[in-house]
Amino acid sequence: MPTESSPSPIIEIVNVTKIYEEYESRVTALKNVSLTINSGEFVAIVGTSGCGKSTLLHCMGLLDRPTSGKIYIEGKDTEQITGKEIAAFRGKRMGFVFQNYNLIPRLTVLENTMLPGLIAGKGVGQLKEKALKLLREVGISHRAHHKGVHLSGGEQQRVAIARALINDPIIVLADEPTGALDSKSSTEIMELLENLNENKGVTIVFVSHDVEIARYGKRRVELKDGRIVTDRKVEKKQQEKVE
Amino acid sequence: MDISSRFAFGELREHKAIYAIIIVVIALTMTSFMLENAYINYMMQVVNETSKNIVADVAVTNVDCDVRDLYGTETTIEDAGRVAQRIEKMLPGYKASVRVTAQGTYGLGSSGEAADGCTLQGIDPEKDVRADMLRDSIVKGRFFEPDDPVMKGHTPLYIKINGPGNLPDLIYGSGQKLLGEEEPYPVIVGAAAAEIHPSIIKVGNVIDVYVSMAARGTSYAGVRVKIIGLYESGTPTVDAMIWFMHADSLRELKGYGNITGKEWIIPGVGAFRGFRPIDVDRNIGDVVLVSAPQPAYTLDPIGYSEKVRDAVQEVVPDMKTFSWHDLLVFAAGSMQDVVTILLWGSMGVTLLLCGAAIKYVMDSIIIRKTREIGSLKAFGARDRVIFKIFVYQGLFIGIASGVLGVLISLMVMQIINWYGFSVQFIAGTQLDISFVVNWFTLLVAFLIPIVLSIIAASIPAKKASMLPPVEALRKGELGM
Repeated sequence: MPTESSPSPIIEIVNVTKIYEEYESRVTALKNVSLTINSGEFVAIVGTSGCGKSTLLHCMGLLDRPTSGKIYIEGKDTEQITGKEIAAFRGKRMGFVFQNYNLIPRLTVLENTMLPGLIAGKGVGQLKEKALKLLREVGISHRAHHKGVHLSGGEQQRVAIARALINDPIIVLADEPTGALDSKSSTEIMELLENLNENKGVTIVFVSHDVEIARYGKRRVELKDGRIVTDRKVEKKQQEKVE
Repeated sequence: MDISSRFAFGELREHKAIYAIIIVVIALTMTSFMLENAYINYMMQVVNETSKNIVADVAVTNVDCDVRDLYGTETTIEDAGRVAQRIEKMLPGYKASVRVTAQGTYGLGSSGEAADGCTLQGIDPEKDVRADMLRDSIVKGRFFEPDDPVMKGHTPLYIKINGPGNLPDLIYGSGQKLLGEEEPYPVIVGAAAAEIHPSIIKVGNVIDVYVSMAARGTSYAGVRVKIIGLYESGTPTVDAMIWFMHADSLRELKGYGNITGKEWIIPGVGAFRGFRPIDVDRNIGDVVLVSAPQPAYTLDPIGYSEKVRDAVQEVVPDMKTFSWHDLLVFAAGSMQDVVTILLWGSMGVTLLLCGAAIKYVMDSIIIRKTREIGSLKAFGARDRVIFKIFVYQGLFIGIASGVLGVLISLMVMQIINWYGFSVQFIAGTQLDISFVVNWFTLLVAFLIPIVLSIIAASIPAKKASMLPPVEALRKGELGM
């Protein structure tokens, strides 16, 4: 992992603008946003509803294309790479955690966890072992053979986090990871993410409209009307206020 | 098993009820198609075999003849033997032989009033292109043998009666009536005729046949024939009509040769010749039958028959050629073609509806599973992976429908064959219901559902694969 003294940029966003056009309406979700995410960071993107934070996360995760501007992943201009390479980036270099967990209902917890690995073409035996290890780490291995839908929200999100880590991504992008959870589960999930970042060095970017949740981030990027209004590192003390 | 097939099977399991209904509907459609097609194949085979007894693959006649002349009216070809040789020389692999034909009438009972008709086909038992088929289809009695009395003394009399005024001369060319003790001509009759007229048509019976023919001025002849065998080609009504004689017997009757023998003139009556007056000329005949080499496999037998006919026509441009299909169309019109078109049409409509059902079921699945599709894309699934998830479902539906349809139809055919259904046919004959499954029918019944299901599935599959991941994730969330 890169050291603190020499952080290497994982994602660089340069003057990104995203405009949604539907019929006659035209909504500018992002306006000339520039942002660099370095290895090992734990970044919270905050802002009110509709400020463009999810759009920014989707652009970072190559789930959406900006109207203008550049996005570099590990130094590569994503405009220059093919759809196949983009899919490979998403699958092998990134992990996603969604607000609604997005577990496949008919699959078991173990199968859900293995899913990105299977898509990447990895062997089932190797994946199973790794998935069980990850499920143990997120504290849900006892439910490995249950269907995802039978789990509580907090449990499902733990599975989603394990799934996001199955391909050893360079970054985990979490879109409102606690948005559908009660406060106790929210705290557990954020502590889990924090723990992954601190102890395993996983780079995490999460989006939240909840100020309390956002305080878990070591770096806080605040968006307003599609622009970054603040981007600062947060002292440990400020973080502890959450406790 | 790749990720697409895992998901495809997952979807199939999840929607097994609706997919099972679609599979069964397609399978039953294919069953119905296959049964009808196999039955039509059987009928076609039966009719083809029968018509080929008269036409083989191609029949060559004089240019002014019609297809109906093949049934035994006047079509004399003076150098039929050389025409046959030319065809065999110019078209390697083709076989040609000469036929002599005539129309016959025979009495049915002691009253002598009722009569039935037949078409006499004079064949060369050694060389005729259909001789082996006829030999194989004998069900009672026997085929011609070398020592059969096909000519020996069978035309002891040759009487020419000068017609008064402008009326034509009458040549009485066979003396069977006059010399009743003579050994009759051997003849092979359709078994169906024996069923229709059991009292007179049976192996060993000798009957009188009045043969009408205009060749060489002969108008008719009373001929005594002995039934040596009964054959069965498949179509009872046609079998009942077609009788086979030795070609030389008919040549003798029709006067195809040089008149020999001593001649007496009876004043006021006419010329009279006796004892083997005709040296038959085997170069003379009425029709030349051509048998073409059969391709190992053809999807278009009618097209092939037309090709063969055209090839023969090129060799004999000054003559007329008919294919077996021409005779079929003459006999039954284009009824079979219409039935085939209707069959394909009805199958097409049902399959289109099934295809639409597959598409709409998958469309609805995609709408419900949009977020799942978005998630898969977020996890690195390429468009192709999503496309294959739905196409594999279509492929499975197609294979299952095809296999099920073929199995059901084969089972139904086995049951019908085992039970032995037959239907009342014309003139009191019975027609068996049977089936002929050829590779083409089997292939079509198996492949059509697969092609249909894949096409039907590929439309929603394409739509699903083209979903932008972020849109899919958003829409899914809205759907929650």
